[in-house]
Amino acid sequence: MLQLDTPMALGKEPRMNSTAARVQKAGAFVVRLAKYNRTLLLSSCVFGTVFMLLLLTSWIAPHDPSAMTLSDRFSGPSAEHWLGLDHLGRDILSRLLYGGQFSVSIAAITLALSALIGTVLGAISARVGGALDEFIMRIVDLMISFPDVLVALFLVAILGPGYGTMILALVITGWTPFARMTRGLALEINAKDYIRAAEILGCSRTYIILHHVIPNILRPLATIAFLRFGHKLITVGSLSFLGLGVQPPDTDWGAMLAEALPYLDRAPSLVLIPGLAIFVTALSITLIGQGLEAHMDDKMKWRHDGK
Amino acid sequence: MPIFILRRLAVLALALLVVSFLVFLIPYVGEADPVRALARARFGRLDLDAASIEALRIELGMNRPFLVQYLDWLGKAVTGDFGNSYMSREPVIEQIWSALKVSLVLTLAALGFAFAVAVPSGSMAALRQGSVYDTVTKSLSQAFVAVPEYWLAPMSILVFALYLGWLPSAGWRGPASVVLPALALSLRPMGYFMQVMRASMIDVLNSPHIVAAHSRGLSVRRTLIAHGLRNALLPVITLFSVWMAGLLGGAVVIEVIFAVPGMGRLVYSAIVNGDTPVLQAGLIGIVTCAVLINTVTDLAYTVLNPVVRIDNAAA
Repeated sequence: MLQLDTPMALGKEPRMNSTAARVQKAGAFVVRLAKYNRTLLLSSCVFGTVFMLLLLTSWIAPHDPSAMTLSDRFSGPSAEHWLGLDHLGRDILSRLLYGGQFSVSIAAITLALSALIGTVLGAISARVGGALDEFIMRIVDLMISFPDVLVALFLVAILGPGYGTMILALVITGWTPFARMTRGLALEINAKDYIRAAEILGCSRTYIILHHVIPNILRPLATIAFLRFGHKLITVGSLSFLGLGVQPPDTDWGAMLAEALPYLDRAPSLVLIPGLAIFVTALSITLIGQGLEAHMDDKMKWRHDGK
Repeated sequence: MPIFILRRLAVLALALLVVSFLVFLIPYVGEADPVRALARARFGRLDLDAASIEALRIELGMNRPFLVQYLDWLGKAVTGDFGNSYMSREPVIEQIWSALKVSLVLTLAALGFAFAVAVPSGSMAALRQGSVYDTVTKSLSQAFVAVPEYWLAPMSILVFALYLGWLPSAGWRGPASVVLPALALSLRPMGYFMQVMRASMIDVLNSPHIVAAHSRGLSVRRTLIAHGLRNALLPVITLFSVWMAGLLGGAVVIEVIFAVPGMGRLVYSAIVNGDTPVLQAGLIGIVTCAVLINTVTDLAYTVLNPVVRIDNAAA
């Protein structure tokens, strides 16, 4: 008679079913999500779709984004050109896809760098304290009220326009919320009993940071990153709109909007479409952030730092 | 209190000193030779010979040691003398003043509207948590935050100026021309104000003194107005000041689209035209405003909130 609880059977059973179990677990998670947090599910799907489209752009874009057909300028949607042609007779859908790659990736790079710098500075501020802490926090205070568009303008005056300048400018103004948040969280967590307990047990500082501090900070940080993403995307667009960011022949959603502005009364859809792309992307990713936030703290629901 | 004010003023002075030095550096970092750049801006020619460049350099005092030049420039800047604009040849300080006034009107109109809508609607949402009204307000505020103002602006021009013809599409003449730019600017702050107002109102409603007032038999309306609103407004006021400092110089896109002669557009065109004196004075003006607004907000906090007052007195 086969013993089910032999070591072999015990070891084998989960391994045999592990893929199925994982799928089942993921399915249960989605079902739970659909039940309790429909917004999070829906916004993840929308952003996921946008992300996949942008990732696959080189393969799925129907036309060359800078190929011009001047005879067909401003022509409306057709089977050949789903969203029509712009003022130089270029395919709008293709430009939207290629432009989106710039918009979204620049916002993402900026955000990652800001998060990294902000977290490190915030952690240092909390750990060292004293005059350095005061100094960093005063800079944060000053930077928070300083318009990022102006920092970008200032840097463009010195370095010239381009994505490098744009990313630098946005990181200079963007690290502050991360620093403030990390500092606050680090101070809070360091005062917790389980940290004291770990210290008394003789755990090293590195162990405590890796096993207690980082896991506790990660989730709020991810949340704030999602919440800031929409804001970043809009700012990236505004800089390109002013001609400070992405330079032709490359384009992004802000630059497309600016190019279309002179033809507003003739072809409003040229302005409408890139703006809609920014809106949908920014909205979906903000909603992901707020969905994540809702899981953390009921009181915190749909509130955030707000700049 | 006085110590607190003095400390803030010291921070203000220090911040301005640092910014003034950075701003002074602009012509030296940007081009190889600031004198040549200036000559190009002033005479519109590139082919000046070395002798006239040198003459200009001595005339401008740019042959002196760097630090002397900075102190000289700073001394004049303190008295409001930033020189003349390269483009219009008019004193820079007058341009800055008139642009600042325009920006102030635009910013206050936009944020005032946002505030006036957000405070009641956010409070109502907090009072009726989970209701249909709450859900609608929440969805609207989330959507508002994601609307790029440089998209809303052309769309509103299209509808209100081109199709309906109710409002001017650009320019800065009379109150009617304030409406569209202010509206386009107000949407995103409005969304944030609503969210923060709702959250802080919920905090306040759950706090012991409100529960106590309520159990003493005060009506919901009385409780809210007499005890709740003042405390719940504090975070919104902070956010208001942050946005105000940001929009005074940062409403560049809207000012460009609507041809509003405000600070943002002034600084933007100064950069595009290489008009260094205007750029320098404009950046200093914006930083000054930002720090001043911060300080005033902190002071307002001490007036409104006794806890902060005690903290500051102790510090």
